[in-house]
Amino acid sequence: MSERTRPSDYGAESARIVRDDPGMRTSITGAVRSKDEKRQAAWAQIDAGAWRDWARDVKTHVLTHLDRYLEEAEDALLRNGVTVHWAETAAQACDVVARIAADHDARRVVKAKSMLTEEIGLNESLEGAGLEVRETDLGEYIIQLLDEPPSHIVGPSLHRSLEDCRQLFHERFGTPLDASPEALAATARRILRNDFLEADLGVSGANFLAADTGTIALIENEGNIRISTSIPPVHVAMVGIEKLVPRFEDLAGLIQLTARSATGQGIGNYVSLIQGPRRPGERDGPDEVHVVFVDNGRTRLLADEHAWEVLRCVRCGACLNTCPVYRQTGGHAYGWAYSGPIGAILAPGILGLEAAMPLPFASSLCGACAEVCPVRIPIPELLVYWRERAVEEGLTPTVDGVAMKSWAALAEHPGAFALASDLVGALPLERTGRKLPVLRGWMGERAAPVPSPERFLSTSSGKEEST
Amino acid sequence: MSPRNRILGYVRGATASRPRVPHPGRFDGRFLVGDDRPPMERFAEQFTAAGGEVERFVDTEAAVRWLGEFTRGYESVTVGATVPGRLRPALPSTCPDLAPLGVSAAVAAVAETGSLVLDARDGRRTQLLAPTHVVFVREQDIHQTLVGAMVTLQPDLPSALGLHSGPSKSADIGQILVRGVHGPGRIVAAVIREAGPV
Repeated sequence: MSERTRPSDYGAESARIVRDDPGMRTSITGAVRSKDEKRQAAWAQIDAGAWRDWARDVKTHVLTHLDRYLEEAEDALLRNGVTVHWAETAAQACDVVARIAADHDARRVVKAKSMLTEEIGLNESLEGAGLEVRETDLGEYIIQLLDEPPSHIVGPSLHRSLEDCRQLFHERFGTPLDASPEALAATARRILRNDFLEADLGVSGANFLAADTGTIALIENEGNIRISTSIPPVHVAMVGIEKLVPRFEDLAGLIQLTARSATGQGIGNYVSLIQGPRRPGERDGPDEVHVVFVDNGRTRLLADEHAWEVLRCVRCGACLNTCPVYRQTGGHAYGWAYSGPIGAILAPGILGLEAAMPLPFASSLCGACAEVCPVRIPIPELLVYWRERAVEEGLTPTVDGVAMKSWAALAEHPGAFALASDLVGALPLERTGRKLPVLRGWMGERAAPVPSPERFLSTSSGKEEST
Repeated sequence: MSPRNRILGYVRGATASRPRVPHPGRFDGRFLVGDDRPPMERFAEQFTAAGGEVERFVDTEAAVRWLGEFTRGYESVTVGATVPGRLRPALPSTCPDLAPLGVSAAVAAVAETGSLVLDARDGRRTQLLAPTHVVFVREQDIHQTLVGAMVTLQPDLPSALGLHSGPSKSADIGQILVRGVHGPGRIVAAVIREAGPV
């Protein structure tokens, strides 16, 4: 899959996945249901309501004082001996990393899992500059071998079954077709261990960055992030500007809540708290640490009176796991790095609303996502907000837009609504049903039901319902 | 204008008229996970549940005896810089990426999360590369909460702290849990009760 899909392909892609790839749907549904159950169990052990209020307030506090915390973080990072870079766009961010690599004559890059680097297309950019880039998270490694994008914020390869992995490793590394998961993991460990030891550059994201101590916090389970940030001589951390937290001690709550929401663990198996390059007296660690603060649409979201709340997101994936729409297709249908409900409200800010279409519409507005968001982002309200903006800006597909606008106008005027209903009933549909313009796509493979000559609200059942 | 100043300018413009929300305060005892049993008990329960092993010793003497038994069968070891002499196995030392066994000393542990807190000054490769990892920690350094440990350690932070809360694991292959993917697949927390230096 070297041709990447885009958000505008959502309709066709989701239909294709559901129709042509039932195995993928099975893998995804099973995996995210299990994650959702684990989150529920982990939340049941704590006063989840109080934890979520606290986390929401910490993040909102940061976002309403973000300039102050960015400056404070920069000071702390510089004190720690970290080089600080700023990038307004994805292209600038990629250029910064390419320049750091060039300054060190770097050829090999190991990467710790980072959704921000997926968002900005860092791998493609570095590979274009002649660098060898290796993803080291096992899931990321699998999809890198398959040349696929991640299908989930936390579990990038969860759309792939054990069988898929066996086949892949057999073709690439000659492991037996019935190899155990342990044997496959051991193969990856052996190959990647070598990459770690020979890498010139380690690139990570950041779950959080504490402004007072300049601490880069990273959560994981495999150990690849600790190794990527400990062994190569240069570590570059890509940090979205919304990742700041005020204090080192705030990390204690956010790390635990993120783990409980993402995987149902009390904490990630490994948490890295990084304060800069190796210091005198330390026997190992990188000689240089760089932090790249990335905007790429975040200040645009921050400026929006409603949409800014999405910037509280801690990327736990709980809203994907619970979403009945995501569960049908997985993340690929959404056509960019962040899928599911959270992706649909991040996309308009980061990609621009036009490029994000129709993702704000890729939801049934059932509200499950809001119930599970650990930082209480009002996801359904923001989906509706972006839908309204899309209609205002004339970005909805013409036929649907006209139909929705006409329906809205009719719904507000009962007399006109009744008249329109009568008109539909009076259409000679037995002969022309398949030719109705609004329904052409839908009816291509279906027989049209014939509208009742009587209006629903004038029938006895309609009246009962309406009283 | 630099990207830095432009970004800070956008941020100021975006938030200028937005109501400021105060910080909600420390993530303290209000948010305690579970009960308030002794930290050692809770640590052992959490660490074991995550797949780690726990050994308890009344004093260093007992730990030394156990270590002698445990390391039988290993041919070499990598040992952290801050592990006291008596707790260094009587094995040839080798570089961390070749060693079958790593031995470290933790600066703290956390009961509520079942975590060992490892300090970069002890040596990161030793903490990460060997398939089996033994970590010594004093019982008195087990904090009830993560925030308690962090507040204690904050005045003297190294280049990196690592919280290790069980063996390395992944479910990225078909959602089946596998241990020892990149970090150690076996981790033993060796807790010594006596006061004073390990």
